[in-house]
Amino acid sequence: MLCDSCGKNPVTTHIKTIINGELTEYSLCAECAQRLGYGNLLTGLGCDYGSLLGGFFGGTELDDPVRCKCCGSTFDDIMRSGQVGCAQCYHTFYDRLIPLIQRIHGNTRHRGKVPGGGALQSRPQEQLSLMRRELREAIDAENFEHAASLRDRIKELEGGKVHE
Amino acid sequence: MNNPNPGCEEDVVIRTQIHLIRNLTDVPFCAKMSRADRQKLSERVVEAFSGNETLSHLFQFTDMESLSRVEAVSLVERHLVSADFISDRRGRGFFVNADETVSIMVNEEDHIHLQSSEAGLNPQKAFATADGLDDILDKCLGFAFDENLGYLTQNPVNLGTGMRASLMLHLPALREGGGISRISANLSKLGLALRGTFGSGVEPKGAVYQLSNRVTFGLSEQEAIANLQSIAMQLIEQERAARKELAESLEIQDTVSRSLAILQSAKMMANEEFMQLISNVRFGVATGLVDPIDYGEINRLMVLVQPATLTFYSGKKLTPAERRSLRAEKIRDFLKKGKYLWPN
Ligand SMILES: [Zn+2]
Ligand SMILES: [Zn+2]
Repeated sequence: MLCDSCGKNPVTTHIKTIINGELTEYSLCAECAQRLGYGNLLTGLGCDYGSLLGGFFGGTELDDPVRCKCCGSTFDDIMRSGQVGCAQCYHTFYDRLIPLIQRIHGNTRHRGKVPGGGALQSRPQEQLSLMRRELREAIDAENFEHAASLRDRIKELEGGKVHE
Repeated sequence: MNNPNPGCEEDVVIRTQIHLIRNLTDVPFCAKMSRADRQKLSERVVEAFSGNETLSHLFQFTDMESLSRVEAVSLVERHLVSADFISDRRGRGFFVNADETVSIMVNEEDHIHLQSSEAGLNPQKAFATADGLDDILDKCLGFAFDENLGYLTQNPVNLGTGMRASLMLHLPALREGGGISRISANLSKLGLALRGTFGSGVEPKGAVYQLSNRVTFGLSEQEAIANLQSIAMQLIEQERAARKELAESLEIQDTVSRSLAILQSAKMMANEEFMQLISNVRFGVATGLVDPIDYGEINRLMVLVQPATLTFYSGKKLTPAERRSLRAEKIRDFLKKGKYLWPN
């Protein structure tokens, strides 16, 4: 399929939009997508599947039998579609996804909002960071009994494996 | 320069929109969901809303499958849902508040996609609304989050804050000067995207552009917003300077006067012609070539005479000719009163 704009290059980006009351899809090549302001939207893991796999794993991971318990995805499924199957996939394939995520975003970590609600039992680091925050708050509030018990639990968790 | 709402930069900024993308922890992401899965998740979210006093009070739910095609397209024209969202409506639904400033799509690319809008340049207020609702929703639904990766999303590109801040900008003078693609290329190096609105054919038509942040990872929501805002202010100043210069040209003054006259008297008006003419008139208002018209009302007109929205509010099927005639009538009426009084 050739680009709707230049008619020359192969299509890399699809954009759905409404034109004069009709749902329309434009298919653009990388160059035209760039020119029209859609180019630098990284397409995620699927962006250069071949070279990523080749570069990182030499292709040997393709037969990997590990499946995510929640959605059934294999690592190969994720790489092929460029889409992660579910939240659990990020845990299941954490160590293999990290280099790819760094390749998309650079070597950095989340610096934004941290949710305050419950439902954060998924990773020990989350629990730890929440507990450390709670500890600071307990100390600030001079609630030393609570702080002491929190400190013990944090020590316990830190003593265990922090990185799954 | 004529700017009745200083601080909101409404002569250049049409609206601010904050998007938050969130997912539940125990359900596959949308690409992995069957129609039944989507339906189930949708029901679960509806239940969570009705179980919460604030949410049930503020929002009304619409099942996308229950809508006509015209109604669905109109939602996109009114910026309540995305074009992707209506391309497959099975198992999808959305919540909207009474004044249509907040909408929440269920099962778009991610489980929850919240949008909060404000008129003009006002990302702080739009974010405060989104942030507060996010807290409530998180308590009800429990969003997937990782300390290192931030909010977990189907596409790893959105990891981190899962937030996009976007500004809809009216840039007629910069477009006239032909510098948009150079500006756009420079902005992309700064982690921002500037895009035109498509017309018939792929090339952008009209002078409405969208400026948004691309980076969600490694910087906070406030930093992303401050970054967007400071670059927007530079663009706004450039646009104003270019307008001032353009407005001195007799040719441009003539174009603006003629555009207003056509809108005031035409009996039939095609959508693309309208968008070009109203862009000229909006430019005229901003440069004092045309008597003041409230920017908010112009923005409302620009949305409400879009093809599907016009048809939807007319309450009947319209032929293309009937649609052009009704559009022309509504525009004439608007320019007489300086206010858009229909459909309410
Ligand atoms: Zn092309
Ligand atoms: Zn999974």
